[in-house]
Amino acid sequence: MRSVLFVALMLSLGGCATTEGVTSFKAAGDTENLHEKERRLWHEAAGYDNTIERSGQLYEHARATTYLQGVMDGLYPEFKGKIPVRIYDSTQMNAFALPNGSVYINIGMLARIENEAQLAAVLGHEAVHFIEKHSFQERVSTKNAASFAVSGIPFSSLAAMSSISGFSRELEREADATGYERLVKAGYDPRGVHLVFQHLADEVKALDIKEPYFFSSHPRMIERIEEFKRLSAQYKGGGRTGSEQYNSIMSEIRLDALRKDIGQDRYKTVILVMEDRNLKGYFPAASYFYLGEAYSRREEAGDEKKALEAYKKAEQMSPGFAPTYLRLGVHYMKKGDKGNARTYFNRYLSRAPKDASDRGYAQQYLNSL
Amino acid sequence: MRKILALIGITLLVSGCAPTPYWTLTDDLNHVAKSTSFQMNVPQGWVRTTEPVTWERVDIDGETRTLLLESMGVTKDGVGIHAISVTRRYPDTAFPTIKKKSTAGMLPPEAADLYVSELRKRSGLERLKVLSNKPAKVADKQGFELLMQYKNDDGLRIQILTLGFVDNTGFYTISYRAPYLYFYDRDYSSFRSLVGSFRQLPAANDPPPQIPAWAKIFT
Repeated sequence: MRSVLFVALMLSLGGCATTEGVTSFKAAGDTENLHEKERRLWHEAAGYDNTIERSGQLYEHARATTYLQGVMDGLYPEFKGKIPVRIYDSTQMNAFALPNGSVYINIGMLARIENEAQLAAVLGHEAVHFIEKHSFQERVSTKNAASFAVSGIPFSSLAAMSSISGFSRELEREADATGYERLVKAGYDPRGVHLVFQHLADEVKALDIKEPYFFSSHPRMIERIEEFKRLSAQYKGGGRTGSEQYNSIMSEIRLDALRKDIGQDRYKTVILVMEDRNLKGYFPAASYFYLGEAYSRREEAGDEKKALEAYKKAEQMSPGFAPTYLRLGVHYMKKGDKGNARTYFNRYLSRAPKDASDRGYAQQYLNSL
Repeated sequence: MRKILALIGITLLVSGCAPTPYWTLTDDLNHVAKSTSFQMNVPQGWVRTTEPVTWERVDIDGETRTLLLESMGVTKDGVGIHAISVTRRYPDTAFPTIKKKSTAGMLPPEAADLYVSELRKRSGLERLKVLSNKPAKVADKQGFELLMQYKNDDGLRIQILTLGFVDNTGFYTISYRAPYLYFYDRDYSSFRSLVGSFRQLPAANDPPPQIPAWAKIFT
């Protein structure tokens, strides 16, 4: 009898999750006519937007936000004003779309993307989830619950989970294919876009990340990389990658992402990024300071030497970046080299802002030498 | 005889079951909060934990472990609003979730950096901001003073002021957490008084105790 009740319950729940008759948005005006259940979903999503904003999870960078919005509007001009793009203050490599069209992209993702074409691939993909109403189509299973710990969003509702952890394979394929079409239509060169997924695959493997988020479920991700390679192999050329503008705008965000990674003890990520032949060239010179910090934290054999080399590189390539001098001062102080320690503490004090919180330590050490 | 034994048994049982109150309201007679390795004066009218907490469960990469520590809590309006916590962690488990030890030779800013990383990882406060990090003396030891801030889900700014130091017996922190609005300033001077009264005790040098057998049930 219990099993009969269970089957009946499952059938009734299954009935709630039917996706038959769900039609996608064709233009911005379609978003005015929502099904009642959709309206509820939108209302809930708006609540998430509010939580993200008021709890300080948005990354404030007006120039980058305007730029991202411009790329999204270029991909989907018919939805201009309906798919707001915001930067999410998390160093994890992720992006997600809420059912109401809000798209969030993490600073960790922006830091690993190499050019505008790759950015367009990610944004184009996320927008498809909104336009094709994937959240509405796919009722969320409890297996997605773990994704929230990864994204850092303190949501308990099921409604937005699929938006963050990924949808079913079919819906993700649809988002890839439609996003790819838009990417090419908007004039981007798609031949390198698979690299953004490759970076994620490398990170998942190197850091032994077990939680599924974004495209990180391994078989799906490998399949995706191959699919993007297959599609772009047919491309005739002539498109743009938009590398220069992207990298000019994202330079500050890249450095901040490394700083935040170190602040969360994610030193493995910093080493992975800064030792990647492709990626490290996109990071500003001061990033070598954070590579030094990462080696200092890792504490494996030979890391002290590697850290010193990285600090020296930062000093050479970015002489105006004050934190390097404090670290070098501490290094020489610990080695008993008072002369060099004094030199570097003085350099730090002359270059660091007057309100830099570390000034107190530099002054204290200098006085003690 | 059997009745007497039964009476004794019941008395022992009942007295054994009577719980020590978790919180003690402080007054002239009991304002000194004392653990094995430290003590401090608690402002009058505040409540303090009656006994120090001696172990905790920590999730380390998905695995729950029981770790030794000494910790005492103090509050005026309730820990949900604000609290002062005084904690001593042992060197091998000073920063457990980031798997770092403390050493006597560790510089205060190095300990402060690890403490912030630990706090961010353990509490899920990825966006915890460090407003300042400067040298400080705690019980005549060179240490650090960290001022941090985060916003909770309701957008309320919570401020944390932590003073800490490292020596060969472990990593000590005195931490004050309160909403920036109204509460932080109101009780700041009480926190400073408590910090000023903090003293290490000779027993800090004793070997670490064993984790109680019953506490291991949780791991």
